[in-house]
Amino acid sequence: MRWPVPASLRLRFLLAVSLWVMLGIVAIWFSAVGIFSKHVEQSYHEELEVHVRELGELTEIAPNGAIILTRPLSDPRYAEPLSGFYWQVTAQGREPLRSRSMTRGSLDESIAHSPEILHRLESGPTGPAITYGYTRKGRAGEDIHFVIATDQSELDRLIGSFTRDLTSWLAVLTALLLATGFAIISFGLKPLDRLSLAFARLRHGEAEELEGQYPAEIAPLSADLNAYIHQNEAMVARARVQAGNLAHSLRTPLAIIMDEAERLATRDDCRGAGLVLLNQAGAMEQQIQYQLARARSAAGSKPSGRGVALPAVALPILRAMERLHPETRFTLKTAAGEDMSLPIDPVDYAEVLSILLDNAGKWARHEVTLTFACGPDGASTVTIADDGPGIPEGLIERAFAVGTRFDPDVAGSGLGLAIARDLCETMGIELTLRNDAEGLVATLRYAAANICAKGPQGGLGSRYWTR
Amino acid sequence: MRLLIVEDDPELGRRLSERLRAADFAVELARNRSEAEDWPDVARMAAVILDLGLPDGSGLDLLRQWRDQRLETPILILTARGSWQDKVEGLNAGADDFVVKPVRFEELLARLNALFRRQQGTRVSTIAAGDLALDPLARTATLAGAPLMLSKQEFRLLHLFLRRTGQVLSQTDILDDLYALGDERETNTVEVLISRLRRKIGRERITTLRGLGYRFAR
Repeated sequence: MRWPVPASLRLRFLLAVSLWVMLGIVAIWFSAVGIFSKHVEQSYHEELEVHVRELGELTEIAPNGAIILTRPLSDPRYAEPLSGFYWQVTAQGREPLRSRSMTRGSLDESIAHSPEILHRLESGPTGPAITYGYTRKGRAGEDIHFVIATDQSELDRLIGSFTRDLTSWLAVLTALLLATGFAIISFGLKPLDRLSLAFARLRHGEAEELEGQYPAEIAPLSADLNAYIHQNEAMVARARVQAGNLAHSLRTPLAIIMDEAERLATRDDCRGAGLVLLNQAGAMEQQIQYQLARARSAAGSKPSGRGVALPAVALPILRAMERLHPETRFTLKTAAGEDMSLPIDPVDYAEVLSILLDNAGKWARHEVTLTFACGPDGASTVTIADDGPGIPEGLIERAFAVGTRFDPDVAGSGLGLAIARDLCETMGIELTLRNDAEGLVATLRYAAANICAKGPQGGLGSRYWTR
Repeated sequence: MRLLIVEDDPELGRRLSERLRAADFAVELARNRSEAEDWPDVARMAAVILDLGLPDGSGLDLLRQWRDQRLETPILILTARGSWQDKVEGLNAGADDFVVKPVRFEELLARLNALFRRQQGTRVSTIAAGDLALDPLARTATLAGAPLMLSKQEFRLLHLFLRRTGQVLSQTDILDDLYALGDERETNTVEVLISRLRRKIGRERITTLRGLGYRFAR
């Protein structure tokens, strides 16, 4: 049978410490009570033995034959009535002599039947009593019986009092030990808490690696993880470069094939072959572009830990758009604060923004507006709105299909939106298109981690950029 | 109009040159960065078609260098690097357009003409002066709505005049625009062409300024 193991390390430590402390305290309690009882009983017995001997020493037979004590016993408790401390001296044919404490009853003299001191638990005047006794020969050769008794309850009271005190102190000690144990566990696990926070910062894109100093036991783990993160980033970068190089090496020969195909298509004797080649070369280019974008997005699909400051990414793209579409006015409105950042790959995000801004620039009559804002649910929302003709409602979903071009006269590959949606899905961003009164609006919505709730947010138009 | 193509792939460079010459451009070809960097009259080119991946250096660095030197010639990047990162970088470095290989020649031509139009501050493809109109993309010219029959060189010359109406153009200016550097040039060619063009569009449109050159009336 397997014992259920707590999932929490803290809980494991707490259970272990609690169990250990409880076991220790219980063991201390039992052994302390045992040792104390044994010690007290032994002292009692020794004391009674001394007293019974003292009683023997102090007893004499008076000339009138009465049993007398030459002086009272040294312990005054034998003089207090019913104090629980009693003695008795008896002899054949003589009046028994009893302690003043024994105002009623008598002690059983049968325990005193030999010169050797014997003891047992007897019934005393005030309950069960530890009784010691022995005999000694008198002058006339008669047996004199010396019996001394102490109530068992006296011993029990003493042990009980000690046990109560001990229990109270051990309870306090238990509480102190447990509190100390919890404090030590909390202190000991503090680096793990910091590590957890560092992971959260990494996941949310607020840090590029695990930050902070850690104890010797955790530091290698942190260092290894950071090395892994950097290695992974380098690998992704290399993969992107290699994918780019592959595309680069294919595109130049493809350009030559396309040129040859165009020439063939202008000749009457091989127009068909030329057109086939042209179409196929176009399809190859489309596949290169699409698969390259997919490869890049797949390479970037692992959380990189890098955050993207949205306006900072957008500005160079807007400057490029100015040159690409000089007749169109590009406007940036930051309604969500300039520091708004998302834990996504900046290259992929820039690619998506570029595709959408370029599309908007191609179709806009006069103006494209890029707006960063926070939704009511805390989601980061980026909209790219143009004042172009929009897309007929029934065709909006088709716009995302590979190779869709609504106007062959407008330059493009028909891949942009398909690539943008793929990249968005990888990054956890929802990309939608809708028509409004002015034109087409593309919306990028990033809901994860409630990004907008994190940083200082400005009101609408807190930063306004336009060329 | 003279174009400078900076392209390291000899086959693609040759083909592009051929197609652009066939489209009435005078084409110069630089095969690497250093050749392009040392080109004597880049500033006089109508446009530069620049590849980014050059064997002896980055085309992007060359572009930045030209722009740092206040070169205002329109530059169109024609490259196999198709990512938006490259496009944004190229455009922000000073390129006027960015075209990814492979490209249909018609599209390249349209993009080049868009650059020329942009430089002239017009959005329409046709350049007009009075009742004379020229469409460089369609390679047609009309006078009072009637089509003009022009040879390649005549068309180029008219295009040059229409782009620079009111300016005095020397014989060298005209030769530089009509011929690539390596082409054979004869000074009387200009006079012959001007004469032919005057016959077709009207003598009064082109004024001869002795010792200076020619001016096309606005």
